[in-house]
Amino acid sequence: MQLQALMMLSAENTQELVTLVPWTFIATIINLFIQMFLIKKFLFKPINDILEKRKNLADKTIREAREAKEEADSLKDQYEDSLTSAHAEAAKIVSDAQKEAQSKADALVKEAQEEAAGIKARAAADIEQERKKAVNEAKDEIGSLAMDIAGKVVEKEINEADHKKLIDEFINQVGA
Amino acid sequence: MGDFQILAKGIALAGCGIGAGCALIAGIGPGIGEGTAVSKALEAIGRQPECKGDVTSTMLLGCAVAETTGIYGFVTGLLLIFVAPGMFMGYLN
Amino acid sequence: MSNDFSVVGPKIYYTIHTGIPILGDFNITETLIVSWLVMIIITGLCIFLTRDLRIENISKRQAFAEMLVEMGNNFVRNNTGGNKFDKLIPFVSALFATSVISNLISLVGLRSPTADLSTEAGWAVVVFIMITATKIKTNGVGGYLKGFTTPIAVMTPFNILSELATPVSMACRHFGNILSGVVIDGLIYWALGLASAALFGLIPGVVGNFLSNIPILSVGIPAITGVYFDWFSGCMQAFIFCMLTVMYIANAAEEG
Repeated sequence: MQLQALMMLSAENTQELVTLVPWTFIATIINLFIQMFLIKKFLFKPINDILEKRKNLADKTIREAREAKEEADSLKDQYEDSLTSAHAEAAKIVSDAQKEAQSKADALVKEAQEEAAGIKARAAADIEQERKKAVNEAKDEIGSLAMDIAGKVVEKEINEADHKKLIDEFINQVGA
Repeated sequence: MGDFQILAKGIALAGCGIGAGCALIAGIGPGIGEGTAVSKALEAIGRQPECKGDVTSTMLLGCAVAETTGIYGFVTGLLLIFVAPGMFMGYLN
Repeated sequence: MSNDFSVVGPKIYYTIHTGIPILGDFNITETLIVSWLVMIIITGLCIFLTRDLRIENISKRQAFAEMLVEMGNNFVRNNTGGNKFDKLIPFVSALFATSVISNLISLVGLRSPTADLSTEAGWAVVVFIMITATKIKTNGVGGYLKGFTTPIAVMTPFNILSELATPVSMACRHFGNILSGVVIDGLIYWALGLASAALFGLIPGVVGNFLSNIPILSVGIPAITGVYFDWFSGCMQAFIFCMLTVMYIANAAEEG
């Protein structure tokens, strides 16, 4: 009975131990949604923003690093290219120089040959001229000699023109 | 208050007390179940000590769910001890 | 020092007479007051934790806040498998935070709002509505109703019962655990008070009378049982409630 008396006494200002109170029930649901909103606004939104920002920052850093690496790679390629081209250029220069030297040497040799040929030709021409000259001289000599001989033989005065004609005929006959 | 009323209240209170006692028999099931769960979890940890954390947390979760029936019994017991007598007294007055 | 032991419901501080038939009078109970206190504590904690946020050189406070958010995100994402239920994260977090703080507030001597069935019933009904809404969204109204007749039409009443058992079992599990903590704590305090009264009552004279009125044994010993009934049980039940919420909703979305 004491228990019952206690329960009666306490019933004045407490609700029952196991019971459903509609208003508390509704208030709890409303509280839960208000709490959800508050947590979303004050905890999740700022923290998610910060996490997002940090992620973007990390992404940016990685991207920058990748870009720097790519740049370094391209520079390396460029250097390698330029090195290769330098090698090629050096080789080209050497070969050009060799070619030039060769061509110069060739030209020199050719020139020398030409000169030699010219000298030879000139010498041959000289010789020919000399020979012609000698032949002409010999002709003249022979002509005059023949005239002399003819004059002596014929002993007859003929005019200079007939004389000359005679000689030329003779020479031509001899030279032919 | 007549004799009949006193008798009726006595029977009601006795029924509540006996009912509460019977309700707590529900504690046996979860006891056995949790014991089994823990023994199996220990076997698992013994076989694979590296899974200790996972096994322990899953075991605790399972134990807490298995305890539900015991808790129902407990709530029923509480209802019978603290709520039902007041209700019956109200009817019988 | 009373020799009687009693466990009472939450105190009613003020009653507003509304005159609405079914709902009855609006009682400002201990449950409501403490739950408002819990909301203030959680919101204050959120504001405190997110003050002075920085991207680099973060403080311990911010690290803790980020850990909490990551935990919430991972909890929902791991249990639902994917980002499909990201909208649930604030709800589950609010549920968990409210539940934990409500359970642990009994450590400072206030009455837990979770030791009132109305609180858990409210949460469980919200979760039940969410589960049902997810099911209807996944399968359509026809598919949802048809789901009750599986595997055979005879099973319909049992299926409806098992559907309704979900919120009831969720609410009663949480409530029963917390209430058992309250009852057992009360019992322990009561028994220790009686024991110390009996023990120090042995001392004769005024000193004995004086000492026997102070429950000296109550200092320290309940802390040991409190480790299980308040800390472990409180955190565990909050965790299980949220876990079941997420899993039920994830399951509801998978059907069909």
